[in-house]
Amino acid sequence: MRPSFFHHLHPPTIPAAQARWRHTLAAGGIAIFLMLILGVTGILEMFYYVPNPEEAALSVQAITYHVPFGGFIRNLHYWAAQLLLIVSAIHLLRVVFTAAYGQPRQFNYLLGLGLFVLAILLDFTGYILRWDMDICWPLTTGTNLLKTIPLIGDFLFRITVGGGEACSTALLRFYTWHIFGLTIIVFILGFWHAFRVRRDGGIAVPPPQLRVVSARISRNELVRREALAIFVVGIILILMASLLPAPIAPAMTGKPGITEEARAPWFFLWVQQMLKWGDPFIFGVLIPLGVLILLVLIPYIFPKPADSDIGRWFPKSNRFAQIVVGGIGLIVITLTLLSFVP
Amino acid sequence: MKKTLTPASGLLLLTLLFVWWWNSRLPKAVELTPTLTGQAEYCLTCHADVPEISPSHPTATFGCVTCHGGERLALDADLAHSTMRGGANPSDLSVVEQSCGGTSCHSGSEADDRHHIQRVMTSIQSTYAGAIANIRYTFGAQTDLNAYSGITTLTDEQTQTGIASLAAFKAAGDDHPFIQKFGENCLTCHINATPLEDENYTRHTGCAACHSTAQHTFATAIPYTQCNTCHNRGNYDLRTMTFVERTDQPTKRIDDYYQPIAQFTQCEYTLDCVDCHTRTEVMGNGDIHANKKDIQYTQCKTCHGTPTEQPLTKKLTDPNDIAFTLSFLNPVGDLKLGDMILITEKGEPLWNTRVLSDGTYELFGKATSQYFTFNPVMGSGCTQSGDDQSSAYCHECHAVER
Amino acid sequence: MSELSRRDFLKLARDGFLYLSGALALGGLLRFLDHDPNPAAKTEFDLGPASNYPLNSRTILSDPPAVLLHTESGFSAFSLVCTHLGCSLGNDSVGFSCLCHGSRFDADGTVTHGPADKPLRYLRVEVMDEGNLKLFTA
Repeated sequence: MRPSFFHHLHPPTIPAAQARWRHTLAAGGIAIFLMLILGVTGILEMFYYVPNPEEAALSVQAITYHVPFGGFIRNLHYWAAQLLLIVSAIHLLRVVFTAAYGQPRQFNYLLGLGLFVLAILLDFTGYILRWDMDICWPLTTGTNLLKTIPLIGDFLFRITVGGGEACSTALLRFYTWHIFGLTIIVFILGFWHAFRVRRDGGIAVPPPQLRVVSARISRNELVRREALAIFVVGIILILMASLLPAPIAPAMTGKPGITEEARAPWFFLWVQQMLKWGDPFIFGVLIPLGVLILLVLIPYIFPKPADSDIGRWFPKSNRFAQIVVGGIGLIVITLTLLSFVP
Repeated sequence: MKKTLTPASGLLLLTLLFVWWWNSRLPKAVELTPTLTGQAEYCLTCHADVPEISPSHPTATFGCVTCHGGERLALDADLAHSTMRGGANPSDLSVVEQSCGGTSCHSGSEADDRHHIQRVMTSIQSTYAGAIANIRYTFGAQTDLNAYSGITTLTDEQTQTGIASLAAFKAAGDDHPFIQKFGENCLTCHINATPLEDENYTRHTGCAACHSTAQHTFATAIPYTQCNTCHNRGNYDLRTMTFVERTDQPTKRIDDYYQPIAQFTQCEYTLDCVDCHTRTEVMGNGDIHANKKDIQYTQCKTCHGTPTEQPLTKKLTDPNDIAFTLSFLNPVGDLKLGDMILITEKGEPLWNTRVLSDGTYELFGKATSQYFTFNPVMGSGCTQSGDDQSSAYCHECHAVER
Repeated sequence: MSELSRRDFLKLARDGFLYLSGALALGGLLRFLDHDPNPAAKTEFDLGPASNYPLNSRTILSDPPAVLLHTESGFSAFSLVCTHLGCSLGNDSVGFSCLCHGSRFDADGTVTHGPADKPLRYLRVEVMDEGNLKLFTA
């Protein structure tokens, strides 16, 4: 059989130790699968979603209640998106905790971080597209954070929002960013990221002479494992989409009154919590950006992991990086939980 | 690993079958597109058993959302009801402007007699201004009997009575304890307040307090039992400043319903309240009044006249006369162009009456359709002075023995 | 019946499950796409007082495109939507013509030149209680 692109992505054999479920947690693969689900369900929603402020929320209600399987498709889209953020975070942690970001994988690590940021932005823009009562204040504060950036703040605001008051004007531009602008970049970076995995020698393993176990699994076995992961995640997603409805609220008509606490979407609760402490530029832009820069620098300025440690969980040689990343994760989780305390 | 793909795909099939089954359990949406809005609503999916509210508000024309608010496309109860106005009663005075008012309904200017909502909001039944002023004066919170407070804050820029605004009544910390008890115990009987729970006297707030005579029903034929959900409900005990609800369920009006010490003539215990008391009396005239006596003006002479004057009448020559509109909504007497009816001193038509050719009068009960004929006082053996219209005078002879 | 090995049976079962799942998914997708979210189009039109259309008059209406006739036998109307593929007809000296593919109709709606092959559709007209005319396109 002549080799196809599929054969190119799945080499004849790969090391067995790193192909175990409990090594990679299948997190990267599941992330790709979730993105595929998001693309398909997103396109299906485009048949019915109306991106103008008067009709947007009503079209979301029409999809949820009147289109056959519309509620199911919408819920699939929502849960796939939230799971994607969690699975991506797990994937990032796995990469750091298995010292898999060292050369030649440093560039791919950056691509992955870029994909993570894009996934968060896609989740936020998608959330805004509901255009209901709950999104106005998160939209206002989130986009006003851009304005706090010196020199280029207003420019960035105009690019992302289109100018004007976000709760009146942002819908069309956020729609275009969501379905095309961010998506096309995710597409390109995603393909590049998957390609780089292959080119950098597959899942991170110690070089052959330092390898402890030399067993390998066949391409067919790899495909079987991928299929199983797809089945498991697919079934869980389908059940979640059937039984757990995505959030929905009445349409936004003018600025909503402040009767109860306006909550950011869950993945930004940690930022909302920090914004209670002081200057928005510091707590809303600099610190999150600082976290990102810290993550970016891990392969470059932190002690490099030893070759024999690549692909092993919690190795000694990059202990410092593990502590820093684990610490960041804990802080983000703590800040998120704190936001629930009145 | 090879063997797990088969059961996994089997599970996938089962899950998809589950999705199809789950979807088939959803209620089939029932659509209603009211002609007034042209926008599809799906309330009937769950609420198909709600009766038509009135012949002049057909569901096919109005739909549900025009009056009630709510999310018209939602099929989930929480979302559908989340933007409803006033809960189950959109005529509650806090939301009545958007529900019953709007741009083309029961709202407008005084010039074309379309300021119903503004009239009701400023009426004594809503503001309770007189009672509040009296209590506050009696117990020293104000030095005169002018009206300063009402149940809610109100302004009337075009006031004819001099009362341009009312503040919301709240007993302050330094007010007499009886004023505080008044605030706690005695303010359930105005159409702004949620009534106390009692199955004998359940009533709504807002317009529905009077006009909703049954579940999801509007009427202008309002029987006395509707008025008695506030009036004749019990007694105030002024020594303790509490309201004592009656516990009986009276059926015979003259014997059981009314106060034992009061006097009543036949029409007072046979007719319904709406047969005599006019729209202006009950729903106000758009001005804030300080006392019931400033707005209530129906007297015995309104229908019967005095020994020296016949009651006021009017011949209906204009087909657009409001008397015909009112009669159309409740056609008890089959009013026709050219009929002569009684009118009040302020010109309000007593459209359920008619002057007969022999100089007597007929009346059709608005709520019961009962037919009555009656004579004018002039030319009878009455020896009272017509100027004295206080209750004791006519009751002197005409009060019924109890 | 030939022996089916356990492995082949499992493979058959797996493939069967997958094909059935695919069919269910495809069916669901087709049902999802087959939904009309638009409000129903208007089929009743109030044409105003009948007195506006005196006896022996022919009035060309624009919404909906139609011709209203008042003859001795009453009111009638026919549609000015071309019976070929739905363009609105324009007037010409002898009747109506279609700018899209060249169909022509005479003043009574009969086809005089193709590609249309059906005459213009007659529409119901009723006189309402208040004296207004109502046109029905359904």
